[in-house]
Amino acid sequence: MGALKDTVSVVGVGATDYRDDYRCEAGRAANKGSGARDSYQLAARSLRRALADGGLHKSQIDGLCVGGPIRVERASELFGINPSWAIAADAPRAIIQATQAINAGLCNTVACIYGNAQRSQNVQYGGGKAMGGSTALSYVYYAPWGMTSQGALYAMMFKRHQLTYGTAEEQLGAVPVAFRKHASLNPNAVMGEPLTVAEYLDSPYIAEPLRLLDYCLVNDGGVTLIIQRADRAKHSKQTPVNVSGFGWSGLSVDATQLRPRLKDFYYPAHRAVAAQVYPMCGYGPRDIDVYGTYDSFSAHLLFSLEGFGFCPEGDAGSWIQNGRIEIGGELPCNTSGGMLSESYMQGWNHQVELVRQLRGGLGVRQVTGANIAQYTQDALGTCLSVVYTKGG
Amino acid sequence: MAPGRPPRVMDPCSAEFWHYTETKELRVQKCSDCQKRRWPPSPFCDACLSEDYTWPVVTGLAKLLSWVVFHKQYFPEYPPGNVVIAAELDEGPIFISTIDHSYLDMLRDGLSLKVGWVEGEDRLGQYHLPIFLPA
Repeated sequence: MGALKDTVSVVGVGATDYRDDYRCEAGRAANKGSGARDSYQLAARSLRRALADGGLHKSQIDGLCVGGPIRVERASELFGINPSWAIAADAPRAIIQATQAINAGLCNTVACIYGNAQRSQNVQYGGGKAMGGSTALSYVYYAPWGMTSQGALYAMMFKRHQLTYGTAEEQLGAVPVAFRKHASLNPNAVMGEPLTVAEYLDSPYIAEPLRLLDYCLVNDGGVTLIIQRADRAKHSKQTPVNVSGFGWSGLSVDATQLRPRLKDFYYPAHRAVAAQVYPMCGYGPRDIDVYGTYDSFSAHLLFSLEGFGFCPEGDAGSWIQNGRIEIGGELPCNTSGGMLSESYMQGWNHQVELVRQLRGGLGVRQVTGANIAQYTQDALGTCLSVVYTKGG
Repeated sequence: MAPGRPPRVMDPCSAEFWHYTETKELRVQKCSDCQKRRWPPSPFCDACLSEDYTWPVVTGLAKLLSWVVFHKQYFPEYPPGNVVIAAELDEGPIFISTIDHSYLDMLRDGLSLKVGWVEGEDRLGQYHLPIFLPA
């Protein structure tokens, strides 16, 4: 995999107006369950912005990765792009597979496009109308016992972490508090009001031991990243951000009985990915300047920090205290506010934020000296990571 | 009438599992080739892909691995307070189930559990739902 290091760059990013779309229309037609917005429309808006950001024309796009509920064929028609290569993928897989496709000579400039009108379409992530069941049994199998929702699965996993390592709910509170602090520095974050641990502890449980503020938002939005061969990217409008490493490991064996969660906290998958991504990029956990992790629930961060070796297994609860994961700390995490407080773009918004941090110029939100950024994700049966570095 | 419960996921192997619950038998598939006990039901073994299996009765004894308490109500059949547990069966598989809320204060890592039965009904018919109690 080392041969693929720094062979492609992110040259354009675009995102929709998460905060305005969520806030300004409260009580109006386009709010929850109204069906007023369309995933393709949000995706197209982010694509238009990414093209403008990168100084690119749509005719240059010859590869397509689509994420969220949108589909390749319909997206191609609506966006007016006939690609020479196209797939559907989540955010890190889109980056990884775009890198592979470009290196295989199948295309030169790939638009990775996500759109999801999940709030206005009233998509459910638990209960009788929950998604899932066809591709993964997950919690759907346990409905007769009243078990449902990804949140409850992570609550079960965090409870096991508490029982095994003594992790306290107060300690977990450092995660939503840090991400909210970051969101307060991000004018496009859906949730901008600062939060204290005391306020966190006062918030209601959803599936105890996880609280409302441990859960991600459900909001509408679109995200686009444009990836190009690194030799072409040298002439791009923005400082190119290189894809310097990646890793991929399944974690689905015995997943429905929750064994990888409750016995291993996904550590084996984290370790397998770490063993790919770090040698490929030539860096390790101590070199990472800014970190992004999939945070559908706050507890994700603990498991990934332990599994990737930022701290010993079981120590994350204490390791994340005292501002360590905040901007200005040792490892700034989810500096846009993540999915808890910026936008639930299923990992896509994190890629935009890491690219922007490496480009620089984010003002009060800027991580000083950000040259190496890592994204990790353990969701939907796969653990993935991408390391980005500042190019140019 | 048995209490209504959220719908079961049904397929031929799951139907066999639920069929045994009619006589309050907790049975978990065991691969006839590699002996792996698997849960949830499947027509083949995930370890060796063998399609040969049996349905031996398990002891119904388990150790508590983790639990959650639902404060949000997701299903009309389950008001807030439902305690969902992960019980590691003595035979190996981890079984997701429930325990009565009255036992909440007793719950701790490794608590010994035994299976119990409550009635259930959904659009596919009546059955017994395996739940757990302190052993």
